[in-house]
Amino acid sequence: METVIEIQGLTKTYGTVKALDGLTLSIPRGGVYGILGPNGAGKSTLFRTLLGLIRPTEGTATVMGGRIGDPAATRRMGSMIETPRFPPFMTARQVLVWLSHAHGGVPAAEIEAWLTRVGLAEAANRRVRGFSVGMLQRLGVAAALMTKPDLVILDEPTSGMDPPGIQEMRALIRSLADNDGVTVILASHQLQEVQRVCDRVAIFNKGKVITEGRVSDLTASGERLRLSVTPLAKAMALLGDRASLDGDALMAAVPRAEAAAVIRALVEGGVDIDEARWVGADLEDVFMSETGWTGVKSVSVTGASVQGGDYAG
Amino acid sequence: MLADALKSEAYRLSKNRVAVFCSVLLTPLLFAFGGLFYHIMVKSKGDALAAKANLPAAVGNQPVNLAESFEFAASNGANGVLLVFMLLAAAAVYAGDYRWETWRLISARNGRPWLLLGKIGVMKVLAMIAMLAMLVAAFAFHLSEALVAGRPISFDLSDFELGRFLLLWLLSYIRIVQYGLIALLAAVVSRSLLAALFVPWALGFAQSILGGPLLPLIGWEPSDWAAQLLLPGLAYDSLKAAVAPAGQPLPEGVVLKAIVSLILWSLVPVLAAIAWFQRQDLSKE
Repeated sequence: METVIEIQGLTKTYGTVKALDGLTLSIPRGGVYGILGPNGAGKSTLFRTLLGLIRPTEGTATVMGGRIGDPAATRRMGSMIETPRFPPFMTARQVLVWLSHAHGGVPAAEIEAWLTRVGLAEAANRRVRGFSVGMLQRLGVAAALMTKPDLVILDEPTSGMDPPGIQEMRALIRSLADNDGVTVILASHQLQEVQRVCDRVAIFNKGKVITEGRVSDLTASGERLRLSVTPLAKAMALLGDRASLDGDALMAAVPRAEAAAVIRALVEGGVDIDEARWVGADLEDVFMSETGWTGVKSVSVTGASVQGGDYAG
Repeated sequence: MLADALKSEAYRLSKNRVAVFCSVLLTPLLFAFGGLFYHIMVKSKGDALAAKANLPAAVGNQPVNLAESFEFAASNGANGVLLVFMLLAAAAVYAGDYRWETWRLISARNGRPWLLLGKIGVMKVLAMIAMLAMLVAAFAFHLSEALVAGRPISFDLSDFELGRFLLLWLLSYIRIVQYGLIALLAAVVSRSLLAALFVPWALGFAQSILGGPLLPLIGWEPSDWAAQLLLPGLAYDSLKAAVAPAGQPLPEGVVLKAIVSLILWSLVPVLAAIAWFQRQDLSKE
């Protein structure tokens, strides 16, 4: 497998806090690679290290074949780390021209094309001091991509964007990987977004990778058998701690190889089965299980839905 | 890489109209219009006094030599007002990426030393433009003198010495650039726009005190190595005195010490800033 990033034992400490703790990771060329983890897991520290903004305390890493911080390697990368900021007296177009000069120049027509592609054509002559967070994100994405990089690092690229903007961004990221052959590394707390757009993910916790793999493999390992049965209580008793409730249905955490035996046992135990089908786990389940996050995924509070939970890791 | 850094920094500065106006145009404009006001005042007060005393007009009828503007601009190029306003641009150029949190955008596109050298190059060009603007202002000053007083205008280069003019011009230029380099070091170490603005200003003020009335009190002679090396303002004044037409004799060795001082003050802040910047965590802006 050809890789764009090779990390060996990377550690970054701030005082007594280990932001990265002997991290080892290989990121393959091509596709969209997701980096997930709770706040403080080390995602942003990793990105800053790969971009040469900070120096690791220990360990080595190569990016596009060059050592980290090597200008020849970083010039082949595009990045947007958190919400970007720009000189407030410049317009959106001027920001792109300014950054393109530092990189050796980008033709004016391409800058215009990027302004259009990220939806800022009408705001191109407006000073960025009046931009919303979503507009700054769009401009940051254009700045990251206009130099036609081989590798793009996007840290929370949809933060502050409205739903249509999020959809456009998702399509843009997929298109970069599928049509332009760009490797995209994406960090996001929007797990559904990551599941839709990423090919592979690594889940971080406390500066380490705790699991890594193809999204389809990770979610398949958590798939469960969804059964519509009567009587429900009898089925629950027969399956014991392998069963949980999902509305009126029963979710059985059993491997595919044992499914037939489980169904037979239920039928022989006097349970009628109206429907049985496999349901894949979503990335949120995998994330919560791997990071030790417990509690509710969503709670209804006087009609409003809020995210909540306790971190037990 | 350096060419890219220069182009990028020059482009950004060209869009920062406040910094460009304050650094390049404000002092020459103040000087030119202040001169016009001064000449009008001298003319009106002088004529009033002459009329009262029943004397001929106070201002004579000798021609105003516009060629004097050259030496005037060269020897006053690094005046205090220009230095203060140049620091506004220096602070914007050297500390702007910390203030606007743009290092993480720009540093991945070019080598760190090139980015700093690009900034220094742009400030050097700006200093030269500011001095040329001061030269134009000096012409305007002399022209307004002639026009207000009704005196004839001449352009007599018989007293003009090209070598002296160039040396004075170079000294003033080095002085302006050096203030900027102190702003650079202050900006990189402190990551602060205010420090880039006020550290050179405070250092310049301290030097003018130490290099003037306080020098004998601290037991230094102007010819001492310590005085020349630690007080670049004193080194600048020594070399200016050495170049002056009716130059007073300077103690032996002062010129060499002053030249060494100016070279060190031109190199050390740059090397220190680059060394510091190379290891700096640019994610903390």
